[in-house]
Amino acid sequence: MSGIVGWLTEAVPRGRIAAFRTLIYLFVAADLVIFTPWVRHHASTPGDLYKPLLVGRLLHLPTPTPLLVHGIFWALLALALAAATGRAPRLLGWAIFALYFEWMIIAMSYGKVDHDRVGLLVALAVLPTAGRARHGDPTRTEAGGWALRVTQIAVVCTYFLAAWAKLRFGGLDWVTSSVLARAIIRRGTELADLIAGVPYLLILAQFGIVAFELASPAIFFLRPRWRNYAVAFFYSFHVVTFATITISFAPHLAAITSFLALEKVRPVAWVRGFLARRRGEVKEHERPVV
Amino acid sequence: METLSRQGRAVRVVVTALGALLLLLGTLWGQDDDFPFGPFRMYSTAPDPNADAPDTRVEGVDTAGRTVVLTEANSGLRRAEIEGQQQAYIDDPGRLRQVAIAYADKSPGAAPLTTVRIVIRWEGIEHSRPTGTSRDQIIATWTAP
Repeated sequence: MSGIVGWLTEAVPRGRIAAFRTLIYLFVAADLVIFTPWVRHHASTPGDLYKPLLVGRLLHLPTPTPLLVHGIFWALLALALAAATGRAPRLLGWAIFALYFEWMIIAMSYGKVDHDRVGLLVALAVLPTAGRARHGDPTRTEAGGWALRVTQIAVVCTYFLAAWAKLRFGGLDWVTSSVLARAIIRRGTELADLIAGVPYLLILAQFGIVAFELASPAIFFLRPRWRNYAVAFFYSFHVVTFATITISFAPHLAAITSFLALEKVRPVAWVRGFLARRRGEVKEHERPVV
Repeated sequence: METLSRQGRAVRVVVTALGALLLLLGTLWGQDDDFPFGPFRMYSTAPDPNADAPDTRVEGVDTAGRTVVLTEANSGLRRAEIEGQQQAYIDDPGRLRQVAIAYADKSPGAAPLTTVRIVIRWEGIEHSRPTGTSRDQIIATWTAP
């Protein structure tokens, strides 16, 4: 038991939390305007078509009005950009989680629920608990470690439990069914049409998808170097999905970064260093020895 | 190193277990309605390898007699949202009037729609591959009185 608890709260550098926080909140801003801009269209959707989800009914959330939808949009955009700087992580973090959750309830309450954002929702729910973190700070934090770990678990659940759902709704026949052919007919690209033309390739792909989803928890048992290869494989899976049936799973892709040593990515520090060197400044280890 | 207090650790373990349990219950018995703990059911059905595939569209006819395909951009409604409430539209085609209202709101200046219908294009499938043949079926129609 103590082994599992230790694994759940395995400390990570604060710099990693700072980078993950910036990335996730910038993603929220990008999600509002680039990835799921259609949510805002519900401002003008007649209230009769609003069928609130269970959580919306339990919380007695109001039927969206233009004021509510546009109000949440602008508040969320401003708060997400402010939170990306790392300031007031608890106050801004909780406010963003609450607003984004309501934003998603609005998005999913008109007849279609998407399954690409559990990892992102978990990240938003736990980031406020990770405490303050400065970019580049090597001090290790257990609270931050837990935040990243549960986001990773949510990412893996998105794959592993999807295999389970296939067994529940489709049964064992799923692997030989025409599910990918259907997906290609509905939203396939030219590349997908090419693939669909090869006999048995779609069925082979279906076997491959289930095998990958069932094997996804293995990422937790890999050494760091191999874990990075596994993450690269996750991303490549989504590149192929996007190239064939134009499904991006963007929020999930943002959550996958919880597996990476993000503290090593320091664009602002790099630019500062570059500018300083252009001014002729040299670092200590760059001084000539005389 | 910044360590967690005994209590902080215990709360996190309980929250993790509770979240995992809800996701597991949702996967086994839940529905989309249970978001965010519903099953990850994207592409989880197993259509017959030789069953025709439905490709749904919503189209309207405006006062000028033009047929317009209703999209997310011009009506604010996603195709999947229409499909998600498909049975409700079949049971009460009058609901499609709301779609015409949404279109008028989202496309100011466009001629109003006098007819809205949901059409399914059945694409032929054989041995889990598209055959390239298709036929259209109208499943719900609303016409302005």
